Amino acid sequence: MILTRRNFLRVVFDTNAARPAKDTLVCIFLRGGADGLNMVVPFLEKPYYRLRPTLGVARPDQPGGKTINLDGKFALNPALAPMKELWDEKVLAVVHAVGSDDQTRSHFEAQDLMERAVSLETGVSGGWLARHLQLRPAEARTPLMAVGLGPTLPESLRGAPVAMALESFDEFHLGRNATSQAALSAALDRLYGQADADLSRAGKQSLEVLGTLERMRGETYVPAGGAKYPEGEYGESLLSVARLIKAGVGLEAACVDLGGWDTHFGQAVQFDRLQSDLASGLAAFRRDLGDHLSHTTVVVMTEFGRRAYENTAFGTDHGRASVMYVMGGAVNGGRVVTDWPGMEEGQLEDPGDLRVTIDYRDVLAEVLSKRQAQANLAAVFPGHEVKTRGVMR
Amino acid sequence: MNRRDFIKAGAAGAALLGAGCDKVRAKLGDWLGGGGIPDAFQIAAGAETDDRFHLLNRAAFGPWPGDLERVSKLGADGWIEEQLNPDGIDDLACNLRANGFDSIGVGAGDMYEFEKAQIERDLTRYTVLRAVYSKRQLFEVMVEFWTDHFNIHIGKSECAWLKTPDDRETIRRHALGRFRDLVRASALSPAMLVYLDGRENKKASAEEKPNENYARELLELHTLGVRGGYTQRDVMEVARCLTGWGCRHKGQWMKAKVEFHPGEHDDGEKTVLGHRIPAGLKEQDLERVLDIVCGHASTARYIAEKLCRRFVSDDPPKSAVEKVAQAFAGSNGDIRDVLRALLKSDEFKASKGRKLKRPFRFVVSALRAVGADTNASPGLLRYLGAMGQAPFQHPTPDGYPDEAMPWLGTLLWRWNFALALLTGSIGGTSVKLAELAKAMGAPAGDPTPFFLRHLMGREGLPVEKEAVAAYLAASPLADWNKKQEAVGLILASPGFQRC
Repeated sequence: MILTRRNFLRVVFDTNAARPAKDTLVCIFLRGGADGLNMVVPFLEKPYYRLRPTLGVARPDQPGGKTINLDGKFALNPALAPMKELWDEKVLAVVHAVGSDDQTRSHFEAQDLMERAVSLETGVSGGWLARHLQLRPAEARTPLMAVGLGPTLPESLRGAPVAMALESFDEFHLGRNATSQAALSAALDRLYGQADADLSRAGKQSLEVLGTLERMRGETYVPAGGAKYPEGEYGESLLSVARLIKAGVGLEAACVDLGGWDTHFGQAVQFDRLQSDLASGLAAFRRDLGDHLSHTTVVVMTEFGRRAYENTAFGTDHGRASVMYVMGGAVNGGRVVTDWPGMEEGQLEDPGDLRVTIDYRDVLAEVLSKRQAQANLAAVFPGHEVKTRGVMR
Repeated sequence: MNRRDFIKAGAAGAALLGAGCDKVRAKLGDWLGGGGIPDAFQIAAGAETDDRFHLLNRAAFGPWPGDLERVSKLGADGWIEEQLNPDGIDDLACNLRANGFDSIGVGAGDMYEFEKAQIERDLTRYTVLRAVYSKRQLFEVMVEFWTDHFNIHIGKSECAWLKTPDDRETIRRHALGRFRDLVRASALSPAMLVYLDGRENKKASAEEKPNENYARELLELHTLGVRGGYTQRDVMEVARCLTGWGCRHKGQWMKAKVEFHPGEHDDGEKTVLGHRIPAGLKEQDLERVLDIVCGHASTARYIAEKLCRRFVSDDPPKSAVEKVAQAFAGSNGDIRDVLRALLKSDEFKASKGRKLKRPFRFVVSALRAVGADTNASPGLLRYLGAMGQAPFQHPTPDGYPDEAMPWLGTLLWRWNFALALLTGSIGGTSVKLAELAKAMGAPAGDPTPFFLRHLMGREGLPVEKEAVAAYLAASPLADWNKKQEAVGLILASPGFQRC
C-alpha cells in the first residue's frame, strides 16, 4: 500500500484496528503522598534505620528480612511482592528520589502542580495530558482517546479536546431498556446529523462511544492469563482500562486513582494494604494485557514522599521526594533509575526530607517523546528543560 | 398578623424544621412565595426563536414555566429593569429552598466550626438551588459571571472555609453594584488573600521581595486584561502598594480577620501605569491602585469584551464591545448601566442560538424548563462534576472557560442527565410531566410538538419533529414512559445545548 496522507491517517487512527498504532499511556496517581522510602527501601543507608526505628523495613539480608533485593542497594517492600515478577521480566523500572519543585507540602497544591505540570504563575492553564492531546488535529481525535476513571475528570485532563469521566461501563444507559436506547440513539443520530459542524462532530463521537460501551457491556469479560484484580475501585478501574485497550477503541490516555496514602499515624496497617493493592493491580493488569503490553506504558506517581524520620504516632509527615514506577513493553526495565541524594544529615532537605534529584517531568517527557506520536515537549512542559533519564528504551 | 409577618413566621418555622425537611420547605415556598408550575402558561410559537425566550436564555438561566408571560407583561425593557433591581423582587420560595444549610450565612471566623466537606456541599447546593429557583435571575447569572471572573478554588488550602463569606460579601453583595467596589471587596476578601497569596505579600525588611501573585492577576484577569498595556514593572509596583494586607490564619485568634500591618508595608514612592503614588500613604495605596486600574480604559474594554463573550457570542462583534465599553466608562463602572447597554443592544438581540450552554447552564436551564422539584443533592451534583463544571472547583484563577470548545466533550453526560431527569432516576429530583403538559395545553395524545415549542422557544424544526416521532414509533415502552423519554430526548437534542 502506498501511504498517502489520507490513508496514513486511516492506518494510524482507525479505531477498529486490532492494534492501535499509538501507545496507551496509563497514569496512576497515588493520592495522599506515598512513602517512597518504605516502598523501595534504600537498605544500605544507615540513617534510614536510625530515623525510622519502628517503621524501617528490615534489610533483605537480615534474619527474618522479607524485603526483596532489587539491585544490591534498593529493596522492594514485601507488600509489593507481586511487582517482583514485573521487575524480573524487565518491564518495570523504579525511579527514586523523584518529585516536583513544590515546596508547600500541601496535598492540594502539590497534586495540582503535578497534574498541570506548570505553576500557577505561568498563566498556562489546563493539565499536562490535556496539553499533549490538544496537539492532535481535530480529525485525529477519537471519542475514547482520553478517559478519567472516576466520578470527575482529573486535573491532568482538564482542557483536553475530548476526555471523559467514566466510572463504569454501566453508567451510560440512555433509555429504560436496550430497545428504547436504540430508538433514542437513532433519534440522536438524526438530530445531531443536521446540527452545526461542532455539535455534529461531537454528537457523532458520543454516539460511537455509546455504541462501544453498549457492546462491551453486553460481553462477559474474563481477564486473560488468570489475572486477578484487587477488589475495589482501583482494581475495577484497571480492569476497565485493560478492556478498553484490548477492544482497540483508540484509547491514548487513561487516568486511575489510588488514594489513602496520607499515613500520618499508624502507617503500617493501611500502608501494607495499599501497597498490596497497588502491586497486585499492576501484576494483574500486565497479565491481562498479554501482548498488548507492547503498546502500553503505565506511570505511577504521587504528589510527594514522606519525611525521612517517623513521627511519634508511628506515621510519617509530608516530605519531598518519593518514587515513580514505569511499566510497559518499551520500558528499560529491571532498573532503579536514581541520582541518589543520600540520607545523612546535610544531605536531607529541611526539615528532614529526601531531596528531589529527578524532576517528575523528565520521566513523563521521556514516555511521551518515545511512545506517543507528535509529542511537543515545549508545549506540554513549558519552561522545563528536559533531561533524559533512560527510563524508556 | 399581616402577610409579611405571616411569611416571616413561616420562614422562621421552616428554618427550625432544619435541612432534613427539604420537602416541607419547598412546598411552603411554592404555596407562599409563588414557586412551582403555574396552572396554565404560554409557550412560544413561530418559526424563529421567540425574543422573550432568547432574553431569558441569556439574562436568566432559561425560562421557568410562565416566564414568557412575565416578560410580555413588563415588556423586555421593563423586565430588564425589574431584574436590575433584585431587592424589589420577592424571593421567598427560593430562600426557603436554598438558605437552610447550616454553613450558609455564617461569619468568616465562625466557618471553621464546620468540616470542609460540609461547607463545599452546602455552598454548592445553595448555588445550584438559587440558580434554579431564584426569581432574581439576572442577579444569579451575574453571580455566576463574577464567580468565574474572581475565581477562587474551594480546594486550595483554607479557601474552603473562606469561599462562603466571599460568595456573600464580595460576589453577591456587589454583583450588580459598582465595579470598583467589587474589585475592592475581592482584594480584601480573606478567600482571595489566601487563594492568590496576598497575605504572603510583605515587605518587613529591605531584602524581602513582595509576592506578585495577586498583583499580576489583578491586572491580567480582574481589570486591564492580558493585553491591557501594563508591564512587569507595573505588576511589581502594584504588589509593593499592596504589601502589608493580611488575613489571620486558621488556628490564630480572630482567624480570617483582614488587617493592614504598617510594619509589613513598603511605604516608599511607587509609579503604577504612569501615575505617581507618593510615599507614606500606607493603606491608602490600595485605594489609589483601585482608582487607577478600575478607571483605566483597558479595563472598560476588557470587562465589556468578557461580558459580550458571555452574553452575545464566543467571538462578539466589535460594535457590541465598543458600546458596552462606553457604558462602562461613562457610568464609572456601574454594572447595571453596563448590562442595560448590553441587553438592549441590537447585537445581543441578533445573537440567538450563538452560544453553547456550559454544563452548569445546561443543567440549571433543563431543571427550570421542566419546573423540576430538586434539593440539589449529590445525585444531581455528580453530573456537574462529571461534566467538569462543579461550582468553585476550577483550579486556576482564570475561571471556567466561556468558549464552546472545551465543553464539546460533555455531550454523553448531557444526554445521560436529560434522560435520567425525565425518567426520575436522579435522587432528590422529580418532574411532574403530566402537570406540565396540561399547563401548557398540550394534547393528551402526542404532547411532544408542544414540548418542542416550550423547550426550544420556537416551532420544532422538521428534523426535530421527525426524530421525536421516529423515537415514539420505535420505542417499545408503555405510553407514559415513552413520553417521558421523548421529552428527555428533546433536552438532549442539539437545539437545547445552544442558547
